[in-house]
Order: sequence, then C-alpha cells, then structure tokens
Amino acid sequence: MRVGLFPNEGGGSYRFVIMALAAIGVLISSLPVIIVTIMSFSASDNTGFPPQALSLRWYQEVIALFTQADGSSAQSVVDATLTSLLVAVIVMSISTLVCIPLAYALTRGDRRIRTGMELLFTLPLVFPLVILGIAFLLIAESLRLDIGIWRIVIPHIALVLPFVLRNCLGAMSGIHPEIEEAAISLGASPLRAIWDVVIPLMKAGILAGLIFALIISFNEFTITFFMYTIDVSTLPIWMYSRTVSSLDPSTLALSVFIIFADIVLIVLVDKLIAGRASLF
Amino acid sequence: MSIGLSRKRALAFSLPALLAITPFLGACFYIFRFSISAETGTIQGFSIRPYLDLMTPFFGRSVWLTVKLAFIATLIAMVLAVPLAFVLTSLRSPLARRCLTVTILLPLILNLLVQAYGWILLLGPSGVLNTTLRGLGIIDRPLFLLFNETGVLLGLVQTSLPLAVFPIVSSVRGLSQEHLEAASSLGASQWQTLRDITLPLLRPGLLGAASIVFAFNASAFAVPLLLGGRRVQMLGVAIRDMISPLFNWSGAAAAGMILIGITLFVLVFTSWLVRITSRNVRD
Repeated sequence: MRVGLFPNEGGGSYRFVIMALAAIGVLISSLPVIIVTIMSFSASDNTGFPPQALSLRWYQEVIALFTQADGSSAQSVVDATLTSLLVAVIVMSISTLVCIPLAYALTRGDRRIRTGMELLFTLPLVFPLVILGIAFLLIAESLRLDIGIWRIVIPHIALVLPFVLRNCLGAMSGIHPEIEEAAISLGASPLRAIWDVVIPLMKAGILAGLIFALIISFNEFTITFFMYTIDVSTLPIWMYSRTVSSLDPSTLALSVFIIFADIVLIVLVDKLIAGRASLF
Repeated sequence: MSIGLSRKRALAFSLPALLAITPFLGACFYIFRFSISAETGTIQGFSIRPYLDLMTPFFGRSVWLTVKLAFIATLIAMVLAVPLAFVLTSLRSPLARRCLTVTILLPLILNLLVQAYGWILLLGPSGVLNTTLRGLGIIDRPLFLLFNETGVLLGLVQTSLPLAVFPIVSSVRGLSQEHLEAASSLGASQWQTLRDITLPLLRPGLLGAASIVFAFNASAFAVPLLLGGRRVQMLGVAIRDMISPLFNWSGAAAAGMILIGITLFVLVFTSWLVRITSRNVRD
C-alpha cells in the first residue's frame, strides 16, 4: 500500500488541517488575480464590489488606447508595449544562446568547475533587485552611456540567466555521451554531433528556458523602475505611472490580458518540462 | 573513447555566458566600491563614513522592520507551503496538478503591479472585504489592512510562496516511502508520522527553502513600495529614498551592502545549520 503524505480518505484532523492550510495558500495566491479579472468586467466607473453590471467597456477602452495614435502623452502605451516585447525577445534570445553551450560544457566537463559555475549563475536569483537596479543605474549614469534599449536588456539578461541555465542543464542531464560517440564514430565531427544530435534532444528544455526568460523579462518591474528613461520605458512602468494616484478600471482590463498571456506561457513551460525537472 | 571536452573548448563554450554575467558582477563590485567612497555623489577616495552615517535610529528601525517582516512572512509561507507541497505531490490527475502549479507559480512571475491592484481592490477602504463586512453589519468603520505592515506581509507571503513550495515538492518526491510505511504499520498516527518522520526527513529541504524565501522577502522592493506606502520603510524602499529625493549615492550603496550582508548571513548560516543537523542524523 502506498502511504501518502496526504491521505485520500479518513485521516480526521490531520487531513482537515492539511486541506485547510493548502486552501489558504491557494486563496492567497489566486485571490488578487481573480478579483482583478472580475473587476475588469465591471460596468461602473469606480471599483466598488460586487460590480453592479457587467460590460466590456474597459476592454474597448484598452483596445482604443492601443489603436488611437495618441500624441498627447509623452510615452504612449503602444511604445511601452513594443519596448517590453523587444526587450523580452532580445533577452530571451541572448540568454538562451549563451546558456546552451555553457550547459553542454558544464555537463561534459569537470565536476568541480560545474559546482562553482552553478553557484555563480544562481547569484542573481538571491541578489537584492533594488541594489542591482541602483548599481546598474549608477554605472549607466557615471559612464554616461547612451545605449538605448540595452540599458534594460543587460540587467534583464543577468536576471534570467539562472532560470535559463537551470532548464538547459535539466535538458542536458538526460543526454548520454554514448549518443554523441555514435554520431562521431559514424563520421560526424564533434561540433556536428552537438549541432545535429545534442541540440535537437535538448529542444524541450531550451524552449522552456526561452519562455521562462520571456515571461520574467516581460513582467520585470524593480530593475526597470530604476533604469527606465523617457525614451525607453516598459509596460509595467507605464502601468505604474498611470496608476500611481488612482486605480483606473481600464488598467485592470490591460492586466487581464497580461494575466492570460502569463498563464498560457506557464502552462506551456510546465508541459515542456512535464514534471521531469523542477522549475527552479 | 569518451567525449573528452578539451579545456580550450570548454572555455570557449562557457565564454559567452561568462560575458553575459559580467555586467552583473561589475554591478556587485561597483556598489561595494561606492559604499566605501569618501564622496556621497561620486567614487573618490576611501572612507567608512557612508556606513557610520547609517548608524541612526531611523535606519536601525528600517533594518529591524525588514528582518521582522521577512521573518514573519517566511514563517507563514513555510506553514502554507508544506501542506501545498503534500497536496501537489499526491494529486493523481495531471490536469489538477497543472492547475495547482500554475496557481502557485503565477504570483512569482506575474507583473507585481497587477497583484498590487488585486490586493488594493480586496483590502482597500472600499474594497471587497470592507464592503462585505460592513454589509453584514460586522464592522462600522473600514478596517485598514493596506498601506501598513499587514498589507506588506500579505504581499510578501503571496509572492514568496512559490519559492517555498517548489523546492519542498522536490524534497517530498525524494522522501523514502519505506520510512512512512514503517511508521504507519507500527501504528503511528498521521500527526506522529508528520512530527517524528516526515518533518525531520524534510528538514534540510525546509531550511534551504526558508533561507531563500527569507532572502527574497528581505530584499523585496515592489511589494513594500506598492502595498506599504510611505509608512512601511523596509530597506528596499529606504534605499530608494536615499537616492531619489536625497541623492545620497554612497549611503544607498552602504545600505545596500548591509542588506546583502543580512541575506548572505542568513543563507550561509542556514547551510551551516543543515550541515550540522544532517551530521547529527548520521551519527
């Protein structure tokens, strides 16, 4: 008999307590998102709950925001969204391109070097983001560099490297050297063996890393909060500047689009790694 | 023959990634160098004045508040994360597992503003909770749950929960089934099994997860900024205020070093604790 940590029947107080705590956890995780979604369908101007009537007017407003070329605001939402997407795509491409060869080298190379390198590439995960933001801001200010979008891309790359590398390493771990040896003994050069045999086998992990980098960069707020300029600003910053004084239901509708995109992407990652590797 | 990776090729393969992480390392060094600068606006000379200037009651309160909130939030997150990990690992249906995974993971990744909007709508003076409670006649005046420590605490628990749940899930997966079976066949109740078998076996994983959650919470910035308002000066927000209205760059760098010091201390202390206790178990 399999003894579960969570009994499926009986169990009395134990089962009840575990269930109750898990339910509280789920509620804390999901309530804000649920409320935002409900309120975005409200027909009224204020954010009183429950909504008196339902409508899609805030969604129409968001679509209008995107379609009407509005020259009045210095930083329109279209620019911010395009910048966000561009940054996310550059970040995801670069971080994945550098992590694939590194994951290969670490898996096939020296064990001791691997431990050290893994530690080094985990650092950005536990490093306080505020300080990272300030440090990058200080460097950019003191060097007086005008590097445009790279102001945000470079810090974001550091931020997503731990996630991408973790995924690439997970993908490499299942690929035995024998497969490559077979390719080489059949006449492929070692690089050709990597390109034609190893990379295709890593595909799921690479894709998971790509998507992870995309969503983290697209949703990043703290570092961008320090690094943004009038010319280079992202969607989270646009939302912050819009709602710093009051909450406007059309921002909620925009939030729902973001929530939806994030959920789809997370489900994709989860499917790709299919419980084989841990997420981080 | 084995695929011997020559040193040169290993280096060539690692080089792009090392280049990509160089700005990060540069930033770490830069902030350290700035924190011992004699000038507040530029890097010039060496001095420990930035650190001495921080020895004020205001900054002390900020450090205390940060450690206190991060600690409480970590405790709550762990108490919620363990049952969640148990449920997540015992779910049979892949669909249910996927739904729960997404629900827990979303708060870590989703734009923090969106979540702050959610909390404001829920807990604000005219939010869902206050309207409902007033409608039911339980309270007369709205409860103030936002822009104080309660709001920040909730936000911290929510955003750090995934960092606790997923490492615990992998520890739970590695739990030996024999121990649990032995305990149950010897007549231990589920509470006894939890206390005497499961939690001790999970301890290294729990401590590791807790230390990461603590580090994450102590360095939180967006949550206290958006849910705490001006009144909850956690270190992250205090450091921002040193820069934005005060232009005290070296002071901010020094405060940053102190924050890094706190989180590093907790991480190192916990890994030491794990080593010590696991040695005891082996003896």
